[in-house]
Amino acid sequence: MASRTVSKDIITLRGSASIVSEFFGYAANSILYNRGIYPEESFSKVKKYGLTLLLTQDDGVKSFISGLTSQLSEWLEAGKLQRVVLVIMSKATSEVLERWNFNIETDAEVVEKGVIKEKSDKEIMREIQAIMRQIASCITYLPCLDEACVFDVLAYTDKDTTVPMAWVESDAKLINNPQMVKLHSFDTKIHKVDTIVSYKNDEWEDEE
Amino acid sequence: MIFMPKKLEPFPFLSFCKEPNASKRQGGKREMQFLTPPSRKRRAEAEAEAGTSAGTSGAAASPVSDRRIVLYEQREAVPFQVPRASFGPSDQLMCTYHCRQMVKSEFFVALDTAEKENAEYKARLAALNEQLYKIEEEREKYRDEASFLQQELAASKARENSLQERFLKEVDNSEERYRDQLRRISELEFEIKKEMDSRVAAEQFTETLKETVRELQTKLESLSDSSDREINSLRRELSYVQDESKFSSSKVTAELERTTLRAESAEEEAELLNEQLIGLKEQLDECLTQKGEIEHNHSSSNISPSNGSSDDDKKMIKLLQEELHNYEKEVQEARKLKSSQLNSELLKEKLLEEQSRRERAELELSKLHELQVKAQKLELELTSWKSLLNDIPDIGSYSDIPKKFAELQKEALENMAKLGEITAQLKEIKVAMEYADLSKQRAETECMLAKEKVESSSLEVKRLQLMLASVTEERDRLRKDSSASNKDAGPSDDSRVEELEAALNDKEQMMKEMESSLQEHREMIAHQHAELKLFNDRLTDESKKVKSLERESDRLRHEVALLESKLGHGDYSSSNTKVLRMVNTLAVENEAKQTIEALQAELKRTTERLQAVEELKGQFDAALPEKLIQLKNQIAVLEKREERYKAVFAEKISVFRKACCSLFGYKIVMDDQKRPNGIPVTRFTLQSIYAQSDDEKLEFEYESGSMNIVMNDYTSQTDIAHQIEIFIRKMNSIPAFTANLTVECFNRRTLC
Repeated sequence: MASRTVSKDIITLRGSASIVSEFFGYAANSILYNRGIYPEESFSKVKKYGLTLLLTQDDGVKSFISGLTSQLSEWLEAGKLQRVVLVIMSKATSEVLERWNFNIETDAEVVEKGVIKEKSDKEIMREIQAIMRQIASCITYLPCLDEACVFDVLAYTDKDTTVPMAWVESDAKLINNPQMVKLHSFDTKIHKVDTIVSYKNDEWEDEE
Repeated sequence: MIFMPKKLEPFPFLSFCKEPNASKRQGGKREMQFLTPPSRKRRAEAEAEAGTSAGTSGAAASPVSDRRIVLYEQREAVPFQVPRASFGPSDQLMCTYHCRQMVKSEFFVALDTAEKENAEYKARLAALNEQLYKIEEEREKYRDEASFLQQELAASKARENSLQERFLKEVDNSEERYRDQLRRISELEFEIKKEMDSRVAAEQFTETLKETVRELQTKLESLSDSSDREINSLRRELSYVQDESKFSSSKVTAELERTTLRAESAEEEAELLNEQLIGLKEQLDECLTQKGEIEHNHSSSNISPSNGSSDDDKKMIKLLQEELHNYEKEVQEARKLKSSQLNSELLKEKLLEEQSRRERAELELSKLHELQVKAQKLELELTSWKSLLNDIPDIGSYSDIPKKFAELQKEALENMAKLGEITAQLKEIKVAMEYADLSKQRAETECMLAKEKVESSSLEVKRLQLMLASVTEERDRLRKDSSASNKDAGPSDDSRVEELEAALNDKEQMMKEMESSLQEHREMIAHQHAELKLFNDRLTDESKKVKSLERESDRLRHEVALLESKLGHGDYSSSNTKVLRMVNTLAVENEAKQTIEALQAELKRTTERLQAVEELKGQFDAALPEKLIQLKNQIAVLEKREERYKAVFAEKISVFRKACCSLFGYKIVMDDQKRPNGIPVTRFTLQSIYAQSDDEKLEFEYESGSMNIVMNDYTSQTDIAHQIEIFIRKMNSIPAFTANLTVECFNRRTLC
């Protein structure tokens, strides 16, 4: 067997920020599809990360997510973004049912000095692929969302971050006594993203 | 390094036996004497004769006496050379013949015996030689074995040496590592102690701070609740005020309209009254003119007195006067009526206004009470907050509290970071301990191997010693046998024996050297055992430390899990982080659009209404500016009167309340509320003046003419409930209940 030489690609802060923000866009679409927030017929298939993923064709949601990812990329380049949370709430009662928590650790040295890191793109894609697979398989253990739900996105930023026009300060929209499941993480050597999904305890599970 | 034994040239030697009497040493050599049986007396006499006859010759001796086998010729030559001259010829010949015969016979006998002995000795020699040969073979075997054992010994020595060297090196390395680790462990322990102390102190501090934070949070929550409630109440008040203002504005407009209507009606009435007045005045004038005429006529008729006409005139005058009087009365009555009407209407309006003012004043009074209670609560909270501020260190004002929170949170974060560092250090220590354990295990296994080898080598050495002992025993035995057998063998055997003795000595020296080396090995092994024990003790201590560190690491892992759960829960520190949300969410957008459209439509409608109102206002303004000014003046006057009535009413109502309280013994608080279904309900709270605590309050609800008691903690007490059951439920009399309660409270107070 021939020996494999692992080729490493150069990764800059901007590149890493675009990878992470793009990942969040696809992850949000995947979550919206898998949790049934929007009807299945409003999604179309695309190839990304070596997988067949589903992207929404609703103009409103599309524009919302594109605006969101552009702002997240900006914050990531500035090193101001700490966490991104996708919150799924009941439309009727505004009760928070699920929180998809994407924790981001930024290498401060890269932000301050503009140091370049090296990591194979394939390796990063593989790590993201694993997370996407886990998101797709989450329907096996997450409780069913029987009622109509809406989603919202929260960004945990540094205290000194200026609030853009389309953003306001908000509460954290926490769940009381949630169940938590830790998913895989991926690392671009500049940004490390950990994924945790916390969901409201199902009454059936409590009774059991 | 392989040691080969020296190749000893095999030489035949008799087995050396150590003779007990072998004490003759000449030049370091032992002389072996072959013991022969004791000579006979004849031999002794012959020897003596031969000795005397051959005293001069040094070599004279019979073979028997000399114990040498001498040839016959020599023997014959020796004894007969000297004594020939002493004896006679015949006698001498006979004697010599007899002597010769005797000597011959003796010689033959001795020869026979010697030959026998020789044969015996030869046989013995042969046997001994055989034995020797066997012994030599065995010796060679043993030598080979000894050489083999020596080789093995040497090899084992070399292995031992190499093992010892390796072991020593490893021991030195492990010692150095242990020392380093001990140093590191001691340093880490010191640091851990420091960290633990700081952590304990920080934990205690954080606990105290958490408690204070919890208290502050609860208070904040309560304050926020109270502020929310206040805000809600203020909003309600605002809405009330707005409603009131609307109501007042509508009232004012209604009053305006009323006043305008009144004014119009008053004008009409005034016109009517003026017309009446004018009519009455005209009548008066007519009457006066008539009166004047009559008087003139009377005066003119006074000149021509005529009784009949004067009576008529008087009557006419009286009638006219009466009519005048009546007219005046009527006018006065009309004026009075007019004024009374005006007064009554004014009074009615005043009554209505006063009633509404009274209601408003009562509302405001109740609100005042609530506000006073709220103000007291707020004052209490303020005092508690101030006392809290005094309790919390480094805080001078309320604005310092969030800073203190931020500082505490920073400290908590720093402690968490330190904890993280400690966990990392612990992990490193763990790794080092694992490495030390592995090296310890390796050293132990090597020690075990070395021990086993040393034991095996010691066993081999013992075996060799036993073999050597047995070999020496055999050697001694053979020596004895060989010395006994080979005494007569001759000088060649002596050299062999000497060679064998030399070889024995060499072997003995080698054995001594091996024994000394064995002792040294034993000492080394004992020393290594002692060192092993020391290392084992140290290892047990290290393992205990490792266990304690493992426990700490488990605790820290648990804490890390808690922190991760908090992270997953979404907790964050507000000093470093803020949560932002995109406003232009999809659902809100649609709703916002809808609301915007609705608001825009309302705006259009309101602008149209405003335009219409402004047009009307303009029209209105154009028509009655003066009337408006008058009405405004009236309104100002009425408002002043209202304020005066308010003040008077407030005084009156306070007097009324005090009178009610002193007369009936209850402080009454009235509060208008609305039920969830929208029905307005008036709630009355009664507190007896003889009540012993503030909790002793009775609550009643007045709804559409019926008064119902509301159960609370005080009324749910057994004795009160019993009274309620009797007086209210059964007898349907609240006054009786309140009177009974007053009497009971009074009795309690006076008795106490």
